[in-house]
Amino acid sequence: MAKYIGIRVLATIPLLFAIAVVTFLIAVAMEANGSIAGQVCGEGATIECIAEVEESLGLNDPLPSRFVSWLGDVVQGDLGVSLLDRNAGVGELIGERIWPSLSIVGLSLIIGISLGMLMGIIAAIQPGGLVDRIFSITAASVIAAPGFLIGMMLSWGIGVELGWLSPIGYTPFGESVTGWFKSLILPSIALGMPTLAIVQRQLRSSMANALQSRYVLAARARGVGRATLIGRHALPNAMIPTITVIGFRAAAAIGLTTAIEIVFGIRGMGELLVTSILNRNVTVLQGGMLVVGLVVATVNLLVDISYGFLNPKVRLNK
Amino acid sequence: MTESQLPSEPSGDASPAKPDSPRRRFWRRMFRNPLGVFSMIWFAILIVAWIWPELLATHDPFKQDVTLQRLYEGPSGDHWLGTDQFGRDFYSRVIHGAGLAFRSIIIAMTIAVGVGVPLGLFSGWRGGRLDRAIMWVNDVFFSLPIILLAMAVIIILNPSLDNAMIGVGIAMSTRFTRLTRAVTLQEKEELYVDSARITGLSTRTILSRYIAPNLMSSLIVQAAIISGAIILIGATLSFLGIGSSLDDPDWGVMLNRGRELFRVHGVWQIVPPGGALILTVLAFNLLGDAIRDAIGRDASNNALTITKRVSVAPASTSHAEGDDVVLSVRDMDVEFPGTDGRISQVLEGVSLDVRAGETLGVVGESGSGKSMTMLSALGLTPAPGRMTRGSVQFDGRDVTNLSEGEWQQIRGKDVGIIFQEPIAVLNPAIKVGKQIMEPLMIHMDMNRDEARARAAELLAEVRVPDPERRLDQYPHEFSGGMAQRVGIAMALACEPKLLIADEPSTALDVTVQGQILDLMAEVQQRRNMAIILITHDLGVIAEAADRVLVMYGGQVMETASAGDVFFNPKHPYSKALLDTMPQNHSGEGALAVIPGVVPSATAWPAGCRFAPRCAHAIDDCVTTMPPLEQVESDMVRCLRHGTDLVLADPAEADA
Ligand code: SF4
Repeated sequence: MAKYIGIRVLATIPLLFAIAVVTFLIAVAMEANGSIAGQVCGEGATIECIAEVEESLGLNDPLPSRFVSWLGDVVQGDLGVSLLDRNAGVGELIGERIWPSLSIVGLSLIIGISLGMLMGIIAAIQPGGLVDRIFSITAASVIAAPGFLIGMMLSWGIGVELGWLSPIGYTPFGESVTGWFKSLILPSIALGMPTLAIVQRQLRSSMANALQSRYVLAARARGVGRATLIGRHALPNAMIPTITVIGFRAAAAIGLTTAIEIVFGIRGMGELLVTSILNRNVTVLQGGMLVVGLVVATVNLLVDISYGFLNPKVRLNK
Repeated sequence: MTESQLPSEPSGDASPAKPDSPRRRFWRRMFRNPLGVFSMIWFAILIVAWIWPELLATHDPFKQDVTLQRLYEGPSGDHWLGTDQFGRDFYSRVIHGAGLAFRSIIIAMTIAVGVGVPLGLFSGWRGGRLDRAIMWVNDVFFSLPIILLAMAVIIILNPSLDNAMIGVGIAMSTRFTRLTRAVTLQEKEELYVDSARITGLSTRTILSRYIAPNLMSSLIVQAAIISGAIILIGATLSFLGIGSSLDDPDWGVMLNRGRELFRVHGVWQIVPPGGALILTVLAFNLLGDAIRDAIGRDASNNALTITKRVSVAPASTSHAEGDDVVLSVRDMDVEFPGTDGRISQVLEGVSLDVRAGETLGVVGESGSGKSMTMLSALGLTPAPGRMTRGSVQFDGRDVTNLSEGEWQQIRGKDVGIIFQEPIAVLNPAIKVGKQIMEPLMIHMDMNRDEARARAAELLAEVRVPDPERRLDQYPHEFSGGMAQRVGIAMALACEPKLLIADEPSTALDVTVQGQILDLMAEVQQRRNMAIILITHDLGVIAEAADRVLVMYGGQVMETASAGDVFFNPKHPYSKALLDTMPQNHSGEGALAVIPGVVPSATAWPAGCRFAPRCAHAIDDCVTTMPPLEQVESDMVRCLRHGTDLVLADPAEADA
């Protein structure tokens, strides 16, 4: 297993490099579509100002050497400074904003995966039964609703009408742990509901397949009881395709949390990226994209590793 | 090469006037599916709203009405869905929003299909290193959040819904690349197996004639679901303020406007656009599901596992007497409800007895009901099938109506089963040793260590070399022969009174076959165990069986001692089976086969089920079902038995 994990970690390096190249090229392409320096100097920019900015950003150097020096900085953790505020380091900006986002994504995945698995297993035990049908209809409707809309409904219903939780806002972890957790609940449910539905659907169908398999029949012929059949024989095999789906959903959730944060007025990565897009703040965007890419790559790595845990064929043959 | 030289390939336009063409069946199924009908109705409305919004809209979607009373209104006769913060009519804005939604789909889908399908075709067809490189890049993009790719394009160009959709299209193209490549690879493989069909055909012909038709249905299903996803992402981007401009009657923009207001001015501010959005995405997803069902690809929906118990009608004949009768089955019927409400009876009136120390051979072609008989006798009828009549006694006890829980105490302990596919019946995710230990720990009250020690002994008994190491391996590390030894070890673990072996040696090569049969015989002698040996191979029967049960079409055709079946068969089907044995085949040339095929359980012949293939059939055979008759200690089901029927020697039959 250690060897397998090692190989998977090494295989992530080209992915990270590809993400870096893409991120870098985004900035290059932005220049081609309008001067960044002009943006910095504002309207009525002087030639001197533009020249100075271009010089300081190294925009006049050839692309490969720019890429190398940019990548060198990035590897050392230096993401540059915000174009709009020379005192604000991009690293610090992101460092502030990423925690709310990661907290929401993390809790949403915990909610979505655990409940989704539970509901998927329950539905698979008696496919076509009443519970299965109720779950299927619910899952189909939830998948059709964007998370931010679910968020607005929750904010209104539970926050405004019932008053159980604050309909808006975020409490940092450092301020109050319970406050932090409470402020995460609604956004995480909003983001986690589609995850739940997707996991439920996938696991239901792969569990149903596994329960029909020859090896489950053979286990029944050995006198294996129902709980063991479901939990030990069918579930690990049914989890293999489900893990893949969870991986895609986790990546999607990292993108979709932006909209959830905006619903709940949380200053996370979402707001940072959106305002930077509107302001064409290229260094912040570069840094933001890079960090999000890093998170996605980590998720993929975790998916690969859990895949190895579940599937001995994958683990032993690599 | 002309088209007519390719007779075996499917051709859609060869039979235009057929009443139940695939196309017609497709639409019939679509309209019978209520969810499919719902989605089609919703799309009809949306398409009208897209092409001619003025027809449906009651107001100008941009016209503001800022008199105080007209803001944040609920539904009324004038404003069916109320008004927004500028007093604009929600209903009309939602109607006009349909156009923007379709526009997004068209842009993103054109890119997604335009890039993804050719790339997938090329990559899959070409194969090799280039294929791997393309797929690596594709997978990188596939794994990135779609929103992020859309943002990247917006960053480079400018924020607008069209630009965002370029990014979404690129992201979605990776889905089409994967799908197209998978279909292409699969088709390519099939074509190469049948390489005669493609020699002389240009790549283009192959792509358009073989791959495209198979690709089409998957693509359409995928496109429907992806269209829903495109709308969701478009709405999210517009909601973030980086999609449609903030005055457009876009559903996402309306929600963006509503997000500041719904907590103060009531949740209604987000209901009309949110509802339109959800219904549209839902309609796309349901449409995809409905198309998939109508094409008839997805079978996972009727995946019942453990059958519910139903009342079983009693048998009309009594069980065999005697202490040594291990398993006795009488008049067993097993039925499967079909998808269209018709019931197929896969077993009809099956009876059998097996005694301690005896081997009962069960023969018949595949599809004759041999395996189903054994599974049903042990309460393992695969769902949704069920036993509807008959009686089963095991070891003197009536087990016809046992619950799954009661069966668990018998299966694995008093009866062991060896299955046909030795590797498929081992759980790929569990170590082989753990699987052998299961029956020991369940039935023999052993703890982990005892069970493990015993499992190693069992493996040694079935002559698996190096058992300790083998215990910790996974099924994929076993060859078929070794896996079958594991199967035997598991079946014998608790020293059962009855061993059922379903084609135990069929998948194995000849030397291993012999070893497996010897092994079973050896254990039988030692323990005075009863064996039911299911096989289509009469050679195996000749070697191992004491008595024989011949099955055809879900019925018992003949029971006899092994000697009688070989030297004095009473039933034309037994005789026909004998004639297919290589030893009995007199002339040179190809091995004899029984002409025709086993009929399917949905369409049994009305009279004798063997009649369409029987060399001795008379008119009565087609209309009258022969009863199973007692002849001395044996049974025969043939109208002509005991009359003038003479079952000729194969050599004479050939002449
Ligand atoms: S009943 Fe007629 S058709 Fe059936 S086996 Fe006997 S002779 Fe053949």
